[in-house]
Amino acid sequence: MLRLENMSCGYGPVRAVTDVSFELPDKSALALLGPNGAGKTSTIMAIMGHTAVQGGRILFNGEDITHVPPVRRVDLGIALVPEGRRLFTDLTVEENLTVGGYHLSTRNDAANRARVYDLFPRLSDRRKQISGSLSGGEQQMLAMGRALMAEPKLLLIDELSLGLMPKMVDQCFAALATLRAQGVTILLVEQNTTRALDFAEHVCVMTSGSLAFSGTSQQAKQDENLFDVFVSAGHE
Amino acid sequence: MDPDPVYYVDLTLNGLIFGAMYALMAIGLTLVYGLLRILHIAHAAVYAFGAFITVIVANATGSIALGIVVAIVASALLGPAIYRLLYEPLLKHPPYVAMIASMGLLIFMEDGFRILFGEQGLTFTRNPYPTEIHQLFGVTINTVQIAMIVLSVVCLTALALFTTRTRVGVAWRATVSNPTIATSFGVDAIKVRYLNFMIGSALAALAGALIALLNNFVEPSMGFVVSYKALAIIVLGGLGSMRGTLIASLALGLVESFGTILVGSYLDRDALAFLFLIIVLMVRPQGLTGARA
Repeated sequence: MLRLENMSCGYGPVRAVTDVSFELPDKSALALLGPNGAGKTSTIMAIMGHTAVQGGRILFNGEDITHVPPVRRVDLGIALVPEGRRLFTDLTVEENLTVGGYHLSTRNDAANRARVYDLFPRLSDRRKQISGSLSGGEQQMLAMGRALMAEPKLLLIDELSLGLMPKMVDQCFAALATLRAQGVTILLVEQNTTRALDFAEHVCVMTSGSLAFSGTSQQAKQDENLFDVFVSAGHE
Repeated sequence: MDPDPVYYVDLTLNGLIFGAMYALMAIGLTLVYGLLRILHIAHAAVYAFGAFITVIVANATGSIALGIVVAIVASALLGPAIYRLLYEPLLKHPPYVAMIASMGLLIFMEDGFRILFGEQGLTFTRNPYPTEIHQLFGVTINTVQIAMIVLSVVCLTALALFTTRTRVGVAWRATVSNPTIATSFGVDAIKVRYLNFMIGSALAALAGALIALLNNFVEPSMGFVVSYKALAIIVLGGLGSMRGTLIASLALGLVESFGTILVGSYLDRDALAFLFLIIVLMVRPQGLTGARA
């Protein structure tokens, strides 16, 4: 479904990611791991079109989308749950969902809303509340709900569990499992390595802007060097 | 001082009317700031432009209503043109570059009005409305003031409904809140910018037209003082917030109205706005309504 071929990206003269290649098959889940500053968010934002691609290609369902403008990518079926949620904080819960489904106009609006409220009943109780006043866990649910409103085939999630209480993390991962079962392909950036490896069958590890490991999560769990990647990066 | 309570009702009404005009003027400014982080100082020139067009068209055709409509339409085109020709090429530079360009445009347009229409300004050849006095519930009010109340309530209500009840309006606010993410969900940020300049400029032109009617006079530098006040208002309102801007506008109108009576012998009406700004920012640095970090 998604394929990166020797993709490099960055900001102006600064290169954030060099020569990254990986493939994400339809209906699978891939965890993108690595220490802070490894280029995970830059990679995700390059797939959304917000980080300038400086080399290589990004393919989606076989189509080269490297130069598709960011505003059109949601039409292809790619939706983002960004790092730090980045909700529209002065908008209500309902209004955030409206923007999530903006590219569909009113098509399936009611059904998609029902799906989100079904998955996250807590949001349903807070429809009229300004999203900036929600708790961290509720904000993460809304960020996921907003992305679901776009009817994504591919969901990009940047730091699902960051700053959340363990109980909220459980709920968010449970919701993610439901989505997977419904056939949504998932690319997950996550700092909770254990959780990520349990959830996703494919794993890529990045360090300082390039790929350090790529394989199945079974292989990743057995690879001692991977542990070193995190430890050594943590001591830099 | 007159102890008659009606006198205070008069003052309050006057303050709210001026506040409503400030709001029409400042909302476009705060939205541009929210969207582009640019202080759109030339917005005051759009306001003066609206006022001049109203007078010129009204005098040429004999219809003030037509003058106002033409002024609004022309300004709704001028605003997006300013964005496209002045700001868009400067967006890659730090925001103060666009702000300096904006100041330049304000001065340029002011001098343009001066060259085209003369230093003395213009008056309506026939404008009976400011002197048509009505007694409503014991309060004295003229026709222009009634129009100011009705039109600002209608326009601001329409704007509020548009931005909360329609998908495009909600997407507009989302873009002001977070342009990158709104783009990710298929909201075209460029169209939002045009819409923003169109609506903001139309409202400023309406304010300019109504002030022109009230004073029965327009002059080239009429935007200048208003531009300073509008900047004070959007800071007070918590930059980028429509609701905050409305509250700050009405508050400033009231402060000016009462302040002129209470301390008018020490302080000029226009200086009050800045005193108010300084005091509020000392007590509430985040603005009157802002809770933003």
